[in-house]
Amino acid sequence: MSDLIEVRNLGKTYRKATGLFNHKEVVALAGVNFTLQSGETLAVVGETGSGKSTLAKLLVGIEQPDQGEIWYAGNQINCSEYRKTNQFIRYIFQDAARSLNPNQKIAEILHAVLRYSTVLSFEQREQKISQTLRLLGLLNEHGNYYPHMFSGGQLQRVALARALILDPKVLILDEALTALDPSLRAQIVNLLLELQQNTGIAYLLITNQLRLVRHFADQTMVLHRGQCLDYGPTPDVFANPTHEYSRKLMNSVQY
Amino acid sequence: MQLLDIRNLTLELETPDGIVRAVDRVNLSLKEGEVRGLVGESGSGKSLIAKAIMGVLHERWHITADRFSWCGEDLMRLPYRRQREIISRDIAMIYQEPSRSMDPTALIGEQLAESVPDHLVEGISWWQRGYFRRKRAINLLHKVGIRDHQSVLNSYPYQLSEGVCQKISIAMAIAKDPKLLIADEPTTALESTTQAQLFRLLASFNQLKGTSILLISHELETVAKSTDTLSVLYCGQLVEAGDTATLLQNPRHPYTDALIRSVPEFQPDLAFKQQLYALHGSIPTLQHLPIGCRLGPRCPNARKECVKTPQLERHHNHFYSCHFPILRTNDDE
Repeated sequence: MSDLIEVRNLGKTYRKATGLFNHKEVVALAGVNFTLQSGETLAVVGETGSGKSTLAKLLVGIEQPDQGEIWYAGNQINCSEYRKTNQFIRYIFQDAARSLNPNQKIAEILHAVLRYSTVLSFEQREQKISQTLRLLGLLNEHGNYYPHMFSGGQLQRVALARALILDPKVLILDEALTALDPSLRAQIVNLLLELQQNTGIAYLLITNQLRLVRHFADQTMVLHRGQCLDYGPTPDVFANPTHEYSRKLMNSVQY
Repeated sequence: MQLLDIRNLTLELETPDGIVRAVDRVNLSLKEGEVRGLVGESGSGKSLIAKAIMGVLHERWHITADRFSWCGEDLMRLPYRRQREIISRDIAMIYQEPSRSMDPTALIGEQLAESVPDHLVEGISWWQRGYFRRKRAINLLHKVGIRDHQSVLNSYPYQLSEGVCQKISIAMAIAKDPKLLIADEPTTALESTTQAQLFRLLASFNQLKGTSILLISHELETVAKSTDTLSVLYCGQLVEAGDTATLLQNPRHPYTDALIRSVPEFQPDLAFKQQLYALHGSIPTLQHLPIGCRLGPRCPNARKECVKTPQLERHHNHFYSCHFPILRTNDDE
């Protein structure tokens, strides 16, 4: 069986004009390799500017890679076919409250997702929406609510609903758990774990919370200035980080 | 010696829908040289309490307290000017989001020089004061671990990273050698390596100068390591307070228990990818607070009596407000 996602030598360089003819190059990501099996979680840790978010953006197709290949279930992903891939790979933003349109009801937001990416009829879409809402512990009536009527934890559930409604195989959580309060975070973590057990969805967890990583992730990757310093099973990476920077990072949890 | 002693602090706000009681009879005390953590979820009134101590709450808030004493003096009964004098001399606060709480139009150097208190420059001839303030500002930057002072002094807040801004706001706070330093969510914007640095910095001020610190955070695990005592708030009510170690070992209140059990780090025998313990439901909004114990609807062992607000009970140095506290079998009672 081939890997669900395989990334080979992925790189991204941002160019910034510094004059009329000159430009400065910022290497956001340089030659990153990893594989992700279904039902597994890969955690990406690193400081700001380490290329974590760039990696996520390249995977969902918001940005185009400069080098390297992304393989999904044995097929190479092309950035121009991003419409096809965005059904398998979904992305959750950091702040659920700000990533939902305040003018639209939840049902409208979810309808729009289905309308753009599937060929379902209106009735089928309605059915799918109520199914997804119930899966995430929300009620059918919540479809008629506007985003501001929800509390923080519920909004994160709505954001999850928007991501999961297309039955993705990979979910990218870009600091999605950071802003939540502790008791709500435990709820969402439980929900994610349950989903993974039931549907075999794979997660790419981008976070700063190493304690959560240790509980949640099968594999861990440490990024620093676009370079992959450590990559391997989570217990190994935590027990003996090979690189100086990752050692510092791991020690900062114990201090 | 008791530095800060607050009994039954209540903060109320008049809204068109009636009075909202955001903080309901909270007790808080701090000894000299003590590091106290104040933990609670967003909207539990942590920052409001900090602002009430600093006296910077908007005048629409009604502040009532049975006792609000600072070093034995009741601040509420003092005239306003005297209040301001005492607070500005003794208490300093690090606000949330440091880069936003600084003046965006002034250089860091100017802002730091301004924060040097006047009594330090007294006795220096007026033409030397500017030089003295600048020297002092550089000194402060060195104290918080910024070596490259020249470029920092000549930049604006937006040019610096959040971690550096955080250090600068600490430098501003310690410029007057406060007796109490209130740090409001100092680590939320920072990465884990910078967080560790910051806690070491705060701990060193506590040990070297004997500064008391009130550390406000919504994450129990970050606060637990660096504090002596802990107060846990839920929706404006004090649910539990006591020594950090005892509190973590036998929490009496279901909410504290849930907080501790929801953190994987405090659960050594938790299997990988096992479900975490979580309270169902979510935090009520301030407009729709339940009566009595505010945890009531979410509490696993709530009963009929919980519609009455429980009194704060005491066991040694451990305070809790619950009708049905969790009692561990290995307890000495």
